[in-house]
Amino acid sequence: MVARESIFCSKSHEYVYEKDGAYYIGLTDFAIEQLGDIVFVELPEIGSHYGKGEIFGTVESVKAASELYMPISGKILEINEQLIDKPELLNEKEFDEIWLLKVSSEYYDVDCNDLMDYNTYKKEVE
Amino acid sequence: MTKRTCLYNEHIKLNAKMVDFAGWEMPVQYTSIIEEHNNVRKNAGLFDVSHMGEIFISGKDALNFLQTLFPQDISGLELNKARYCQFTNTKGGIVDDLFVYKLKEEYYLLVVNASRLDDDYNWLKQNKSDFSVIIDNKSDIYSMIALQGPKAADILDSIGIKKENQPRTMYIKEYALAGEKAYISRTGYTGEDGFEIIIRNEKACELWNLLLDKGKQYKILPIGLGARDTLRLEAAMSLYGNELNETTSPIEASLVWSIDKNKKENYIGKDIIQNQLEHGVKRKLIAFKMLDRAIARHEYEIYSKNEKAGYVTSGGFAPFLGANIGLGYVDTDKNLKIDDTIQVMVRNKLYNAQITTKNFIKKHNRGN
Repeated sequence: MVARESIFCSKSHEYVYEKDGAYYIGLTDFAIEQLGDIVFVELPEIGSHYGKGEIFGTVESVKAASELYMPISGKILEINEQLIDKPELLNEKEFDEIWLLKVSSEYYDVDCNDLMDYNTYKKEVE
Repeated sequence: MTKRTCLYNEHIKLNAKMVDFAGWEMPVQYTSIIEEHNNVRKNAGLFDVSHMGEIFISGKDALNFLQTLFPQDISGLELNKARYCQFTNTKGGIVDDLFVYKLKEEYYLLVVNASRLDDDYNWLKQNKSDFSVIIDNKSDIYSMIALQGPKAADILDSIGIKKENQPRTMYIKEYALAGEKAYISRTGYTGEDGFEIIIRNEKACELWNLLLDKGKQYKILPIGLGARDTLRLEAAMSLYGNELNETTSPIEASLVWSIDKNKKENYIGKDIIQNQLEHGVKRKLIAFKMLDRAIARHEYEIYSKNEKAGYVTSGGFAPFLGANIGLGYVDTDKNLKIDDTIQVMVRNKLYNAQITTKNFIKKHNRGN
């Protein structure tokens, strides 16, 4: 489990946390709960760059497609490949154990400024 | 203000996620759409469909009046038999699709879509002209519960309606349920065997809980509107507002099977529909299965050989089939046939799909 105080969340329900110099981006538990059964995940190419707030992929539940937005800017180092064939892992696992992207970022501190820490985010959405 | 069905509190107790649907606060799911969907295919499910409308038509001209409203000929409809119909407008478009049940001579029950109830009621009054009929909208006093799935007949049996007394497929019967008169028809919107029960509001909760309780041994689950939609799509059934609307005709909507081409009586839109039957239509509803990894959704564009050919009316993941499927209109001048490859534009990229028959799933559990 990732320490809650090191998780930061965007208003569009993506989270980011830092671990060993890399940044992990995923979907919040609230977002997953709202989406329901997830049946499709589309993720970006490794090596591509995305600015903060840019659309980097799509997640689709049975009911609808939702776009995914970068909570910080960065370069894609890795994507969570297992989600391509098993998108339902997002429903089955704890949200912080199933990241979507691993990125490198030069502006994390600045980009993080308008993100909420996890506890504030949870209060906001509930 | 949104309306609530009599079963609202039961849904809350069952932890349902509630959404607004056609002005009603309805359960969209209880646990998971996929789990609920598959349970209806394998066991049984219970749906609150009380938002649907029940309009009774009676009077000495009931049959003659109804005959003016749709391309179906119901003059030969057997007593207690159901018929799937579409109210058509002067342009041949569909005002609503509905089930017509003949309860007695000159006494019919119409079950209509919640989203269209007010329009339907007005449509009926508007077209009543000199017919001697009573148009009685009883939607506010009746609740409707659908029991669907291969175990539906066993469950109905377990609450005292023995299999040998149950209505046959596409028939309706009157029963005393919870001490109250109720109608049970063997119809549904899932592609499974099952029943739709129309009962007075004050007895709805008792019946709902009785069915859930006795149904436990048959693994019954309450089912929300989310799975209702995926079930009907997987059964390739049209949804008013998606496949059907006031500008789509029954011919375009591939509902020719449901109409009577040689109906003698005049009905609203007959000239257009006859003309379409003889000379064809410009677009037609097709079913497709995605070949590439992508999900088609409502209003996405359909392409054929890099040219726009139509649009998706419904699309999504089909849980029992485990595939991404859809329905949509395509231009008939593209001459598309079953098994042809088309493309669907998903987020500015084209993905391959294949036109299929409307039998995504075999009706594997039909009743007797």
